[in-house]
Amino acid sequence: MSAPQSPLIHLIDDDEAVRAGLALLIGTVGLRVQAWADPQAFMRDFDRQGIGAIVLDVRMPGISGLTVLDQLLAQGVDQPVIMLTGHGTVELCRRAFKSGATEFLEKPVDDEVLLEALQNAVRQHVRSRERHQANQQARAHYAQLSEREREVLGLIVEGLTNKEIGRALGLSPRTVESHRANLFAKLQVESLAHLIRHYAALAAEADAP
Amino acid sequence: MGRNRTVLGRRGGMQKWAMPHLLKALGPRLLVWFVISVIGGVLLGRAELAQLREAFETDARISHRLLSQRVVQHEAVLATLALLQPTPPIGSAESAEQRLPSVYPQILRVQRRDGGASWSDPSLDQAEKLSRQTRGAVLVNADFTATRGRYQLLLAAQPASYALLIDLQGTVPWSEWSMPVQTSPVRVTLEHAGQGFVVQPGRITEQGWRFEFRKHLASESQPFDVVALRQVGWQELPWLAMALWSLAVAASLAAWSAWQRQRSARRRAEALLRVGQVARLNTMGELAAGMAHELNQPLTAILANTQAAKRLLQDDPGELPTALQAMDQAVAQARRAAEVLGRLRRTVEQPVSSAPGQTVDLAQAVRSALDLMEPECQRRGVTPEVHIDQAALVLAERVALEQIVHNLITNALQALDTVPASERQLAIHIAAENGMGVLRVIDTGPGIAPDTLPHVFEPFFTTREGGLGLGLSLCETLASGMGGQLSVQANMPRGAIFVLHLPLAPAP
Repeated sequence: MSAPQSPLIHLIDDDEAVRAGLALLIGTVGLRVQAWADPQAFMRDFDRQGIGAIVLDVRMPGISGLTVLDQLLAQGVDQPVIMLTGHGTVELCRRAFKSGATEFLEKPVDDEVLLEALQNAVRQHVRSRERHQANQQARAHYAQLSEREREVLGLIVEGLTNKEIGRALGLSPRTVESHRANLFAKLQVESLAHLIRHYAALAAEADAP
Repeated sequence: MGRNRTVLGRRGGMQKWAMPHLLKALGPRLLVWFVISVIGGVLLGRAELAQLREAFETDARISHRLLSQRVVQHEAVLATLALLQPTPPIGSAESAEQRLPSVYPQILRVQRRDGGASWSDPSLDQAEKLSRQTRGAVLVNADFTATRGRYQLLLAAQPASYALLIDLQGTVPWSEWSMPVQTSPVRVTLEHAGQGFVVQPGRITEQGWRFEFRKHLASESQPFDVVALRQVGWQELPWLAMALWSLAVAASLAAWSAWQRQRSARRRAEALLRVGQVARLNTMGELAAGMAHELNQPLTAILANTQAAKRLLQDDPGELPTALQAMDQAVAQARRAAEVLGRLRRTVEQPVSSAPGQTVDLAQAVRSALDLMEPECQRRGVTPEVHIDQAALVLAERVALEQIVHNLITNALQALDTVPASERQLAIHIAAENGMGVLRVIDTGPGIAPDTLPHVFEPFFTTREGGLGLGLSLCETLASGMGGQLSVQANMPRGAIFVLHLPLAPAP
């Protein structure tokens, strides 16, 4: 796990008054806000690694919010995007969700609605980042296992006992037991439940090909 | 006056320019007219010729029959004479044969050759020989010229033979003749051995169509040819009927093309109206979208600022300066919203009153609106009644007036939609009262509730699902812009009366 970060909300709107008002409002719930007047500058400079969410106005001079949304998706940006629009039509809404927007809110937006949407988005982002990181870690640990240990792991995940594993692999139960201990140590897990929760998917993935 | 003169001058110029143009535009129609006229003329001519031929042939057959009957009589007379033979003149001064010419005027003379004697004329002797061979009457000494036709008919008998000298002129039964001899155009000739006697002169010319009839008389002894000739000249064709036909074709073509023009004009007007409506709707859509954006931005800022201020004040009284700042922002944004609306009003409102008034006939405006809306009326089974109490020429802007009338009628029709078809009535009254032209549009729809009556001309007020609530408001604005007034009252027993007052045009 990397060092915890306070979530940062990117707010993109060409209207200064709207930017200032919304930034103040978002700030009241303790979220950090970075306001951008120019979508292009935002695309160029914003921190893609940070935890947080993006609030994007649909109607902006020069570039449409929907285009920005498409570009974000194409670049693999994982921050959730909340779209804001002055006059939401069904068609606009449909396009936004199709392009991967998390929320679609109409201006003028009520504080409760916006703040709740933001908090949900941030929570969702944190969770997805954590999942991602855990996944990365699990892969790193899994890479350390020997061939035999991987075989043993696969059979453990399938629910076989040491004795059955020994029979299946032509090993003595004692040897299986030693592999099992090494495996637990290398994967940094304390219990069988923990092992299965974090590594069942990886084991099945390795088994499949 | 000066203005009038320029207009007239220009019109004269236009006519000069218009002539070749007119011909070009009329070209195809002229061709159609010509072709239809010619085809009709030919058919008429042929029908007339067929009728004339029929009449001719009937006349010719009648002549043939009459003449045949007469010449057969001659044979009968001879046979009777031969049968009777010279009767002794008992108590009578002359014999029957001598009395014959007085009974039959065509028989000029009766000759008799008594037994043992011979004819004074040697050709009669020969004829008698022939008659004995054929045992029938024989024709002798036929002498036909155009004006004279004479011949002798001889029958050999025992003991005495008889010969008749016959005059053709007398043979013709004029009393039964079917044609007027002097004036009939049919020439009737009796021909024999290359000679011809003209029974009826007729009128024979070189040009035109010739009908001919030729047949032997039904008599073995006098097999003259009855020849009838009829020459139909050009002047006998039914020129009057043809001319009338051609005129009728021209008139129908003109009517048809006028109808077409009118129809296409109406279509164009309808299309224009539709385009206008679509354009208006598009403008409305654009306006709404623009307005939504322009107003939503300050509203968003106001809402965000006030709500942030509220939160700040609730959470921590120490944040007062920030909250105040937020409130200032909110105030500034509220002003901005007001400015947006002001700008919009200035853009949309047009000074209608500055438009110069034209003299417009109210009835004309109503007619053109009803013309456009005829399909709408038909679809609803509504027949608008127009009552013109007095003609009203008002001072108005034509387009605006037509728009008002159109909107009022549309309104009435929509009101009528909600009542059964049998109770739908739409009446339009035109009158002139107190220096104002008055137009009343009266429907028998559900009417307007008394409490909503004062609001019907307010913008965005509508009782109709999906209505914008701008139609009547626009009409009212237009009417007052032209120095007029639009009002509404209840119709008895049911429905609404919309009354439009417009100033009458000053008498010219």
